[in-house]
Amino acid sequence: MKLADDYIRSVTHCLPPAGPMRARIEMELRVIVAEQLERGRDLDDVLRQLGDPLTLAESYLASAPLVTAPLKRRIGAKLADMAFVGIAIVPALVMAGRALQPEMAALVVVAGLIGGAVGFGAGTIGMEYWLGQTPGKRLLGLQVVRESGAAISLGQSIVRQIPILLQMYWIDVLFAFFTPRRQRAFELLSKTRVVMVTPTSDRSAGEAGGTSNA
Amino acid sequence: MTKPEERDDPRRGIERELKRGTLELIVLHLLAPGEAYGYEIVSELTAETNGALEVTDGTLYPVLYRLERAGSVDVRWETPERGVPRKYYRITPAGRAELAALTREWTTFSKAMTKLLQKERKVR
Repeated sequence: MKLADDYIRSVTHCLPPAGPMRARIEMELRVIVAEQLERGRDLDDVLRQLGDPLTLAESYLASAPLVTAPLKRRIGAKLADMAFVGIAIVPALVMAGRALQPEMAALVVVAGLIGGAVGFGAGTIGMEYWLGQTPGKRLLGLQVVRESGAAISLGQSIVRQIPILLQMYWIDVLFAFFTPRRQRAFELLSKTRVVMVTPTSDRSAGEAGGTSNA
Repeated sequence: MTKPEERDDPRRGIERELKRGTLELIVLHLLAPGEAYGYEIVSELTAETNGALEVTDGTLYPVLYRLERAGSVDVRWETPERGVPRKYYRITPAGRAELAALTREWTTFSKAMTKLLQKERKVR
């Protein structure tokens, strides 16, 4: 069953890591594959019928319309992330400042601030890639996805953080006030969005995208 | 898996677009008489249309998932003593309303298309 497992994993890896969707689709696909095999079909044939993993993942994603995260929430999440880093770094810097000579202390504080900023960028890149969200975004129910709703790649995660690393974050953020999906300039560039993590029962989301009795 | 040349062929393109637009209607229509499981839907569709409306599993199951999430179909699990559990789909009242609306829309569209294409056009 390794081939089937690999196939199912490559489908679920395209789905956003945050939220219940990965587990649901994995279960769904396991049942489909098992049922077809029991019917005596060849595994290769079953997987061919299911098709390209990314295409299949995106077909499933079409069932959950994306809800753009409001800017207030995004700002809240960013402040929360900064507070988390601050809590970790500031006490260490204060202690270093007290213990060392003034010149050395200044050096350590500057190094600490630069290290904190780089760590913040790198941490954000890693967490958004592996988990789909930073702790602040998790707190406020947000996640980062491709424009199709699929999970982002490492490259996309890096491009999203370029403005922070190049110290041009504020210009980048201004774009979010004027773009329809509230995207920063480098989110447009990386084709990613910040959306609400869909609640467990997404019936209301389905209704919003579907039925019209016109 | 879709081959690149299939994707680029414009005639296959229109077929795919038409299927994509009507698959919910097709599935709800096939579920209207009573519950069925995925394989039954695929084989019924292929048999009744001589393969013209054949769908792959990769197209059908996401549609069933979408209908389930939207509340148009309910699911029931049946676990046999031996073998794998099977998922049965049944249309809900909301699904029937959706089916009626989609059928109306399709009929209007299809009549209009037939009328348009049958009308003889003079050379200008």
